[in-house]
Amino acid sequence: MDEVQTAEKLAELQTLIEMSGTINMEVFYWWCTGLMVIIHAGFLAYEMGASRLKNALASGVKNILAFAFIIPTFFFFGWWIYLAMYNGFTPDFEAAAAGLPWSTNMGPNLADNASGIFWGAFVLFAATTASIFSGAVIERIRMSSFIILAIILGSVVWILGAAWGWHPDGWLTTEWGFHDFGAAGCVHMVAGFFALGVTINLGARIGRFAPDGTPLTITGHSVPMSIIGLMLIIVGFFGFLGGCIIYNTGAQWTTIFGTPVTLSAVSFNTLMAFSGGIIGSYVITRQPFWMMSGALAGIFSAAPGLDVYYPPLAFLMGILGGVVAPLADKLITNKFKIDDAVGAFSVHGVGGLIGVVGLGVFAGLPNVVEGAPAVSFLGQLKSAIVMGLLGFIPGFGLSWLMAKAGFLRVPPKAEEAGLDMVEVPLAAYPESVPAKSSIPASAATA
Amino acid sequence: MNVSPITSWEGVEAYFTFADSPVAMVLILSLAVAVTFGTILHSVKHENSTYIDYQ
Repeated sequence: MDEVQTAEKLAELQTLIEMSGTINMEVFYWWCTGLMVIIHAGFLAYEMGASRLKNALASGVKNILAFAFIIPTFFFFGWWIYLAMYNGFTPDFEAAAAGLPWSTNMGPNLADNASGIFWGAFVLFAATTASIFSGAVIERIRMSSFIILAIILGSVVWILGAAWGWHPDGWLTTEWGFHDFGAAGCVHMVAGFFALGVTINLGARIGRFAPDGTPLTITGHSVPMSIIGLMLIIVGFFGFLGGCIIYNTGAQWTTIFGTPVTLSAVSFNTLMAFSGGIIGSYVITRQPFWMMSGALAGIFSAAPGLDVYYPPLAFLMGILGGVVAPLADKLITNKFKIDDAVGAFSVHGVGGLIGVVGLGVFAGLPNVVEGAPAVSFLGQLKSAIVMGLLGFIPGFGLSWLMAKAGFLRVPPKAEEAGLDMVEVPLAAYPESVPAKSSIPASAATA
Repeated sequence: MNVSPITSWEGVEAYFTFADSPVAMVLILSLAVAVTFGTILHSVKHENSTYIDYQ
C-alpha cells in the first residue's frame, strides 16, 4: 500500500469513527429522553394519587396537558431562548439563529445530528419543571391558568435560567464560576420557587386549614399510587442525569460546563444521595410518601456536585436534604399557611437550594471556561439567589395578575363538588363514587 | 402535491417538507402557533360554560 492509499484509508477510517461517534451520541440522548418520559409517568401517578377521588382525573388531565403544551411552545421559542440569552437579557441573535423555529436545523437535516436530539432532551427538562409546579396547585387551580403558567415556566423561565447557569457560556459561570452538574438551580430551584410564588396567590384548598388557621390533613385517594409515582420519577432521573452529560466522540465525557466527568462518578453519587434522602426523611417522618420525596430531595441536594463529590459526602448531603425537606414543608404549612399539596417547594426548591449552596461549601473546583473563576461559596450563593428570584418573581407576579382578574382559581362550589364532575367527562372509578352524574348519558352509553 | 425540497439524496442537508419554501414554513408555523394558543382560549370557554352551574 503506497502513501496515497494509506492516507485515503486513514481518511476513510476517520470518517467511519466520526460517524460512529455521532450515531452513538444520538443513541445516548435518545434513550436519556425516553427514560425522562418515565419522570412524567411518575408525576402523573404521584399527583393523581395525591388528589382526592373527586379530583383524580382532573389532576391527571392537568399533568398531561402541561407536557403537551410545553413541547410545541419549546419548539416555538424555548430552544431559541437557551441559545440566545446566555449573556443575561441581551440576546445573541447570531448564536441562536439555528434555534429559530423556521431554521433548517429545526427539522430533519442530514447535516445536523445534534439539534433535534438536544432539543428533545431539553424539552423533557422543561416538562419536568412544569410537572414539579403542577403538583403544588392540584385540586383548585383553573386548568387554562395552569396551562399558561406552565408554558411560562417550562418554555421561558427555566430555560432562561439554563442559559444563564447551565450553558457553556452562561454568565453565572463566566462571572461567578457557578457549577451545577445536575441542574439543581435552573430546574429544581426555579420550578420550586415558581410554585411557591403561585401557591401564595392561589390560596389553600377549601378545608386545608381550620378557621383558626390550624392545618388539617387532606389525604389523597391513593397513597400507594403516589409512592409508586415517586419511585418512577427516580427511575426517570437516571435519564435526566444522563442528559446532563456531554458525549464527546473519542474523548472523555464532560459536564455542560466543559469539566471532565464519568458516568461512574454520577453512578456513585446519585445512588448514595438517593439512599441518604430516604434515610433522612425516614428519621423525621417514618412514612413512605416523605421517604420517597426525601429520596428526590436527597438527589437534588447533591445534584450540583454529583460529578465531583466523595460518595459518602453525597450520602450525607442526601440525608440533609431528606431531613430538611419535610421540615421545610411543615414550616411553610404551619407558619405561613401555604398549601403546597405535594411539598414541591420543599423538595425541589429547598432541595435545590441546599445543593447549589452546598457545593459552594466544598468548593475550590477549577473551571475550564476561559476567564471563569473557580467554584466558590460566594459564587454559588449569589447564583442560588438569582435562581430563586428567577423562579419566584414571574410565578408570583403572573399569578397575582391572574388572581386579580379572577382567572386563577375555580369557583368554590366547583372545588367542593370536585373538578372531575365539573370538567372531565369521565369517571376515575366508574363502579365507585362520585361523579356519575357528570357523565352525559350519550357518553356513558357510548 | 410535491412539497419535498429534494429530487435526489445526493449531498442532501435539510430535506423536510417545505424546507426550501420559507413562506410555506411560516404559514404552517403560524397555523401551529394559532392552534396551540387557540386551544387555550377554547379551554377558557369550556371552563366558563362548565362553571356556570357552580357560581
